[in-house]
Amino acid sequence: MAMVDVRDVRKVYRRGAEELVVLDGLNLQIDEGDFAALMGPSGSGKTTLLNLIAGIDKPTSGDVVVAGTNVATLNETELAEFRSRNVGFIFQFYNLIPVLSATENVELPLLLTHLSKKERRERALTALRVVGLADRASHHPRQLSGGQEQRVAIARAIVTDPRVLVADEPTGDLDAKSAEEILELMQTLNQEHKKTIVVVTHDPRAAERAHTQHHLEKGVLKD
Amino acid sequence: MKFLPYLLKHLRRNWFRTGLTVVAMAVCIFLFCTLQSVLAQIDALLEATSANRLVTRHSVSLIFDLPLAYENRILGVDGVRRVAVNSWFGGSLPAKKEEKGADDSSSGADFSNFFTNMAVEPEPFFAMFPEYEVPPEQFQAFTQDLRGCVIGEKLAERYGWKIGDIFYLESFIPEYRKPDGPFEFVVRGIYRVDPVKHPNADQSSMYFNFKYLYEATGRNVRAGTFMVEIEDPDRAGDISAKIDALFANSDAPTRTETEQAFLAGFISLAGNLALLLNGIGIAVTFTILLVVANTMSIAVRERRTEIAVLKTLGFTSGKVMGLVVAESLLLGALGGLLGIGGARGMLWILTHTPAVRGALAGIGLAEVNLQPVVALLGFAVALFLGFAAGIVPALGAYRARITEMLRTV
Repeated sequence: MAMVDVRDVRKVYRRGAEELVVLDGLNLQIDEGDFAALMGPSGSGKTTLLNLIAGIDKPTSGDVVVAGTNVATLNETELAEFRSRNVGFIFQFYNLIPVLSATENVELPLLLTHLSKKERRERALTALRVVGLADRASHHPRQLSGGQEQRVAIARAIVTDPRVLVADEPTGDLDAKSAEEILELMQTLNQEHKKTIVVVTHDPRAAERAHTQHHLEKGVLKD
Repeated sequence: MKFLPYLLKHLRRNWFRTGLTVVAMAVCIFLFCTLQSVLAQIDALLEATSANRLVTRHSVSLIFDLPLAYENRILGVDGVRRVAVNSWFGGSLPAKKEEKGADDSSSGADFSNFFTNMAVEPEPFFAMFPEYEVPPEQFQAFTQDLRGCVIGEKLAERYGWKIGDIFYLESFIPEYRKPDGPFEFVVRGIYRVDPVKHPNADQSSMYFNFKYLYEATGRNVRAGTFMVEIEDPDRAGDISAKIDALFANSDAPTRTETEQAFLAGFISLAGNLALLLNGIGIAVTFTILLVVANTMSIAVRERRTEIAVLKTLGFTSGKVMGLVVAESLLLGALGGLLGIGGARGMLWILTHTPAVRGALAGIGLAEVNLQPVVALLGFAVALFLGFAAGIVPALGAYRARITEMLRTV
């Protein structure tokens, strides 16, 4: 069963009279529990496709069905709710909030739920344990290494138990060792926690870990 | 409430900038509350006046007095019920001898103990001011003793004076001074005011017999003003014109106006005080609005990525906007509380510092304090400033698209 079903999607950016076609009639299915890598040269539309799957952007035409919901038909508020329930996003540059501790950063998405303060704290610590950073719970981002920051970002992405994890170049800002650890962690999340993972990457090691690879070029799938 | 710790952490992110913004806001609210308290006190004084009382004074200035003979002529004007001489004595308690030096005979006045004191004609004056309630036996004792005086309840409290106590006053007006030293007064009556019927009536003044001043100064003094009671308040304009017409071509022409207009003029001798104070308040408030708005704009611009992250995590645009506005409101509330506290402290210091209190008493502002309604208004202004400063950057955060904000990082 497809967790992600992209059907005949076009994404066009307009700058004045100029039109830039980024995705051109693209079709893609990613099964539940899959670990999919989106690859391709810069400007091929990988990140745009990832943003559509994550529900942070909408296609110009076509359908993007994720976890049974066609995100193309949702308004801004519905999209926000969709993201909070179904998608965990991992950024290349971690994007942790510097004034918050690791636990508070992980707890952030839970502020949108009805959980009590104690429950939020317990869940955040559990997520930090999953990524192996329970002992850094009270540390702030500036006190952590790049690899550790990305682990906290992954904990933040999984704390609401989303069905899909999307990652945009998650190892792009890390040294080889840290990158390997992050990929290992993502593989664990995929195999043991049954998360569907879609990752945009240039990193061949990340591609090797993926079950399926999709190559984009000029807004069209080449595989 | 669950977002409060998040907001507080953001405010602490750049504590120096936050501190400066809060202090700027506090200064604004401090000025607002202080100035509004003064205006509220002036309003209260004006509200305590009566519509059927007029004041006749020299048309050029209050510093010129009027012939006593005017009294009977004013009394003859149709519609006038009573007339009483009412002269501002300008007396204060003499400085203590040990502080001045034993051989110092200049007996300089001590303005740290200044309060309003008036030389009046007892019967007509107190008949015109029914709000001042003096027990009949005390009033009789007052009229029978030339040195007698009637003091307000609050004045009695302030100095611990009771019936029979003696005190001395020395005027800073040369014509009202005696060669043999200060005037001696005996407290013969203490007037009280019904706080329900007359909440704003003065309770801190002292009245003594004009005849005492007249006799003691060699029968040379004239009347500072005449207090005139009329039968019909609707005829105030007409009667005022008639009184002034009587003396239009004399050496001492008069200006007659309602008690309220007279008091307003007296308080704002230096110009239109209310306009000046409100003008200062508005200018400061607008300046602070720009300062806080600038701070909030910078804070939001610095956090574009964070706003994108919050939206990615599922925060709706409305919620993100709410967080920005709440942060700005929090700045406003902190500044407001600090400013209100400062204003309260400053007014307390002013009204408890003897020299300043004396100066304030001279224009009827000895009791100026921070009223709850002014404090609430000040807090509301602070919140409004916070809201107004935060709403534009908040709208920017509301409209911002996640992909664009992440792309500009």
